Amino acid sequence: MTATIISNLPVFVVIAPLFVAFVLSTFARRIRLVESLVIAVLALGVLGAGYLASLVLMQNGIPITYSMGGWPAPWGIELVAGSLSAFFLLLVSGVSLPVALFTVANMTHEVGGSVRTTRFYVLYLLLAGALAGMAVTNDLFNVFVLVEVATLSCCGLVSACKHPRAAEAAFNYLILATLGSALILGGIGFLYIITGHLNMGFASMELCRIWQDYPHVVWIAGGFLLVGFGVKSALFPLHVWLPDAHSTAPSPASAILSGLAVKGYMICFIKVLYNVFGATLIQEFALDRILSLLGMVAIIAGSLFAVAQDELKRRLAFSTVAQVGYVFLGLGQVNVCSLTGTLFHIASHAVIKSGLFLAAGAIIAATGKTRISEMAGIGGRMPITMAAFTIGSLGMVGIPLFSGFIGKWHLLSGSLTAGSTLAPLVIVIGSVLAAAYLFPIIRTAYFEQAQATDGQDPGAPQRIALILLAAGVVILGVAPGPFLELASRAAVELLAIK
Amino acid sequence: MRDFILKRVAALLLPFIQMYGLYVIFHGHVSPGGSFAGGIVVGLAFIAFATIYGLERGRAKMPERITTLTESYGTLWYGIMGMVGIIKGAPFLANKLAGIDLGTLGTLSSGGLISLIGLGVGIRVASTMITLFFTMMEEES
Repeated sequence: MTATIISNLPVFVVIAPLFVAFVLSTFARRIRLVESLVIAVLALGVLGAGYLASLVLMQNGIPITYSMGGWPAPWGIELVAGSLSAFFLLLVSGVSLPVALFTVANMTHEVGGSVRTTRFYVLYLLLAGALAGMAVTNDLFNVFVLVEVATLSCCGLVSACKHPRAAEAAFNYLILATLGSALILGGIGFLYIITGHLNMGFASMELCRIWQDYPHVVWIAGGFLLVGFGVKSALFPLHVWLPDAHSTAPSPASAILSGLAVKGYMICFIKVLYNVFGATLIQEFALDRILSLLGMVAIIAGSLFAVAQDELKRRLAFSTVAQVGYVFLGLGQVNVCSLTGTLFHIASHAVIKSGLFLAAGAIIAATGKTRISEMAGIGGRMPITMAAFTIGSLGMVGIPLFSGFIGKWHLLSGSLTAGSTLAPLVIVIGSVLAAAYLFPIIRTAYFEQAQATDGQDPGAPQRIALILLAAGVVILGVAPGPFLELASRAAVELLAIK
Repeated sequence: MRDFILKRVAALLLPFIQMYGLYVIFHGHVSPGGSFAGGIVVGLAFIAFATIYGLERGRAKMPERITTLTESYGTLWYGIMGMVGIIKGAPFLANKLAGIDLGTLGTLSSGGLISLIGLGVGIRVASTMITLFFTMMEEES
């Protein structure tokens, strides 16, 4: 029994949340049972991901491959749990559990009715399953399918509230995301035409052999994939859907969307870019320069937009646009140090931003205030919430001993190694701007005279969720140990593919 | 009295349309079509019933509670069929490796679990078609 579960773990981490998602609608009237099922399956996901990660770490870089239906690649669909997969699986399970905990006994009044709340949880688990699938898949077409599942779940989550602004944001997101999906499918199609493989490993080998015969097709495929995944992961000029969608969604949905969903698309992009194109082709086709340029623009522009916002959730949403920039900047510096930093930054931003959005959601739920200028003195009335917010902010700015520092440090030293002069400067300026848009919130909350006296810390599950995420920020910053190890091994493996 | 011919013909044809849909679902691996196309045919029979006999009677045949459940459990059925492989000690979605007898080539049984998996997809597609139709019709009225 145990041996069966362990040998099928790569597929179980994907299908377990999906199975539970499809059962949930039966219990739509019993919301307590629905909540406990969701928490239980996500907790099992943490165990499974932890076990897979320890297996991968012990095996010294030999990935666990799993052939669906027993058909070996290139005929069958292959799941591969290597360092990158284990890293992202740990992240997905580790963030989706606290965010789900935050929703316990809290969603019904925000979403309205137990049936609608159950639908919210169904979409939540579908998203969790799709993200876990993105972590382990090694098949280009599966990437597209999982991207679609995640996108449609996200649209549903954005419009979970009965709110006209939410419906408009979800519709905008749907249109742009569908465009992105079409481009991704086009890119994958072009790769399939010239390589004849959908398995990433085989496609990469074939591409390596024949790319000189089809330089234009490779250009088109790369361009389609860049724009497609750029729309999905809100890369700067293509980010227009994100601020509306992430600021009007219910707060736990914003947390999971900004924290994890955007990261899932990035992991897919990293896989397609480094596992299929490979480092040589990225440099040959100047994708590295394009990526780092776009990343730098995104960091500066996203941060400046964030400074200008007065609405708390919109400021956090624009901050996500800026942090996406770091990831693309890191992807453009093709060296181990930068890629380690990129992956670690993905993880630290996921933990930080979901914590920040949850804290913002707790503040808005308790006081009804959405603007930062109205939040004077909130720190005294909601100590735990604001403490979690402060720890998250310090991590986001990149203060040493908090998780953001390690990712940014690796990015900085990686870009210095790459000989770039502009990139380190932009990284530092981005951190200063992050301080400029996050620290005023903390100052308002703690040091300004309170006009109102309402608001108190949320209930026990919500407090536990906030404390878990804040603890995650500190733990990743003080003792990144196995997490950093997985990230750096993943970076080495990604660059080993020629 | 006005729609006498329409209603009589529909009453005669709809059962056969549904049977044909199920045939297409189950024979996906040996003949053209498949579970998706067959599911759409089954769903269309319900949609035709609702357009001919009126939305209320159509809704009574397939209430929202039922379509929600069939949508969920149709998909779950696919997963359960995938688990057969794991229970038999083979990978997820295994067919022959799970010890299923594949019968004679070209017959219904030659697909092993495929026609049963297709049933899940068909149920799911049919109920999604019905849900889509009623959502759009109820929005309009």
